[in-house]
Amino acid sequence: MKIAKALSLLGIAAAGISLVACKADGDNQGLEYAPQMYHSVAYEPLTQIKDETKGEWLSNREDGKGEFFNSNINNPHGMNMREPVAGTVPRTKDGSLPYRYKAFEIEEASVNVKNPIELNDEVLKEGERLFQLYCTPCHGKGGQGDGTVGMIIGGVANLTGGAYVGLSEGHIYHVITKGKGRMGAHGSQITPENRWKIVHYVKQKLQGGQNADNAVAVAEKATQETQVETPAN
Amino acid sequence: MLSKRSLVGVRWNFHTLAVLFFMLIGIQAFAADPAVDSSDEAVAAGKALFNTNCKTCHKLDAKLVGPALRGATDRQPAENVKKFIKNSAVVIGSGDSYYNDLYKEYNNTAMPAHEFLSDDDLNNLLAYIEFGDKVDPAAAAAAGTGAEGGAAVAGGGIPNEYLTVILVVLVVVLLLILAVLGLIISVLTKYLNKQELDEDDQEFVSQKFNLGKVIKSDGFIIIVTALVVALVAKTAIDGLYSVGVQQGYAPTQPIAYSHKLHAGTLEIECQYCHTGVEIGRSANIPSPNICMNCHTHVQNVQGKEGVSPEIQKIYDAVDNNTPIEWVRVHNLPDLAYFNHSQHVKVGGIECQTCHGPIQEMEVVGQHSALTMGWCIDCHRQTEIATEGNAYYDKLVQIHADSKDALKVKDIGGLECAKCHY
Repeated sequence: MKIAKALSLLGIAAAGISLVACKADGDNQGLEYAPQMYHSVAYEPLTQIKDETKGEWLSNREDGKGEFFNSNINNPHGMNMREPVAGTVPRTKDGSLPYRYKAFEIEEASVNVKNPIELNDEVLKEGERLFQLYCTPCHGKGGQGDGTVGMIIGGVANLTGGAYVGLSEGHIYHVITKGKGRMGAHGSQITPENRWKIVHYVKQKLQGGQNADNAVAVAEKATQETQVETPAN
Repeated sequence: MLSKRSLVGVRWNFHTLAVLFFMLIGIQAFAADPAVDSSDEAVAAGKALFNTNCKTCHKLDAKLVGPALRGATDRQPAENVKKFIKNSAVVIGSGDSYYNDLYKEYNNTAMPAHEFLSDDDLNNLLAYIEFGDKVDPAAAAAAGTGAEGGAAVAGGGIPNEYLTVILVVLVVVLLLILAVLGLIISVLTKYLNKQELDEDDQEFVSQKFNLGKVIKSDGFIIIVTALVVALVAKTAIDGLYSVGVQQGYAPTQPIAYSHKLHAGTLEIECQYCHTGVEIGRSANIPSPNICMNCHTHVQNVQGKEGVSPEIQKIYDAVDNNTPIEWVRVHNLPDLAYFNHSQHVKVGGIECQTCHGPIQEMEVVGQHSALTMGWCIDCHRQTEIATEGNAYYDKLVQIHADSKDALKVKDIGGLECAKCHY
C-alpha cells in the first residue's frame, strides 16, 4: 500500500517536471497545442519550414511529406516569396509608373522629375516624421550630417550646407531612390509617395524653400485651370 | 606645366623662410602656400565654412572619407586647390595628373561642386585649413587623461556597494542575535540545574533535541505532504498553461545581429529596416540590400580592422544571391489573423508595447504571451484616439451616452470574426 502511494506521488511529480519542459526558452520553442491549426496550409511569405520530415507523425498529406513542410519546391531556395516577372509593372494607388531613371542619370532626373504631391502642413508634418524614421540615423535630426550612424560611416551630406540647399527636388528624390556617393538606394524601403513627402520636408524646412518645385507647380496649375475653363465657357 | 610648377612649388620669400624656420624647430610638419591668409578673422570665417560644407568628409589632420586637408596648398598651389574645391569634376576632367591620382587613390569618390563659394570664402577656407585648430600634442594628451578621470568618477556603482554593505551588516547582526540567544539558553540551563527541581521540570530542562521524533510526528508529515503536493500542482498547472505559449522563445539566429547595438546605441528607428509595418500585415524582415546601406562602409564593430565574420555573412548572401535564413521568433497561430499596419499606423501603438524593450535585447526573444487573453485585455483597456479622424465621428456620436471613453472593445475589438475567420 505504502509503495503504491509513493509510486503514484512520484508519478505526479515526474509529470509536473516534464510539463515544465513545455515552456519555451532560448532555442526551445515549447510544446504546441493543436499544431495542425497553428501551421498555415497556404504558403506564407515569412515562414518557411524546409525540413520535409517535420510533422510526419500526424501527416496525412498525399505527397507523403511532413505536415509542417511548407516550402515552395518550385522557387529558388524553396522560398515562398518570388521576384515579380521581369517587365511587369506594379499597380499603385495613384497610378504612378515605376521610376525609370538609372542611378547615373542624375542630371536628367534633377531637371525633369517634379514633385507631384501638393504642399501643405499635413504633408510637411508627415514628411518630418518620415525624415526622422529613415534619414536621421545618418543625416541627423537637423539634417546636418551628424546622425549617430553618420558619424561612423562618415561623408554624410550636410543637407543645410551650401552645396545642397540649391539642388532641385527631382535631384533629392533621385538620390533617395537610387543613392549617390556613399548613400545607398532607399527606393526599396520608402514608397514613392513618402519619398516625395520627405523631399517636401527637406526642401521647405531644412533648406528654406530654395529652388522648390511648389512655386512652379502652383503657377502651372493656375494656367492649367484657366485652360480647362476656356472651352467650358 | 602645372606639374612642373608643383615640383618647383614653393617660392622663396619671407613667408616661406618663416615657415621653413618653424619646420626646422619641429612645430610645423608642412608648408602653406604664402598666398594663404593667416589672420585670425580669416581663420574664424573659414572655420564656419568648413563646418557647414567640408566637415562630414574631411578632417584637418586625418583621413576621413577624403584626404587630410592641412598642407593642401603645400602639395598644390592655392589657385589649383581653389579650382578643385569649386568644381572638382572640371579639374579631374581637364586631366590634371595630381588630382587624377588623388581621385583614384580615394576610389573615384567625387566631391560635390561648391560653385557658390566666393573667392573670399575660398581664401578664408584655406586659411582655416592651413592655420586653424592646430593640435598641441601635450594638451591633447592632458585632455584625454582628464576625460578618462571624469568617466571613472561618473561610472562608480555607489548604490550597489551600499546594498552589499547593508546585506553584510544584516547577516552579522542576525548571527550576533543567534549567539546571544545561545548564550542565554546555556546560562539559564546551568542556573536551573543548580536549583532543586521536581522530576518533571528536571526532565524538561535537560531534554535533548530529537530529530527522529520530530520527523515521525503527525504534524510534520502533514505539513511536508501539503507542501510537496502544492509545489507539484503549481509546476503542473504552470506547465499546462505554457503549452502553446512561446513567451521567452529566443532562438539563435544565423547572424548574431544585435538589436541592442542597432536600435539602442545607434538609435536606428525600427521602421528603417522593418519597412512593412505601416503598410501591411507583416513588419517584414529586411533584405540584405537594406543592411548594405550602412555595411558597405561599416565592415567591423567598434572600429576594428578587417571584416567581422558576422558582417561577412551579409556580403556572402549578397554576392551569392542566397537568402539569409532568419529564424522566426513570433509565431502567431494560423488560426488568428493579425495586421501590423492596423495597430501601428492606425492605432499609433509603439513597437515596444508588444515586443518589449527590443532596444535592450542582444538576442531577440518573444516578450509578450501572444495569447488570446493578452489580446483581449489590451482591447478592453485601450482608448481610441478619435480626435482629428473623421472616420470615428459617427462612432463617437453613438457612444456619447456611455460614461466610459470609446475603447477598442466598443468598435468590435472583441468580435470573434475580427481575428478568427
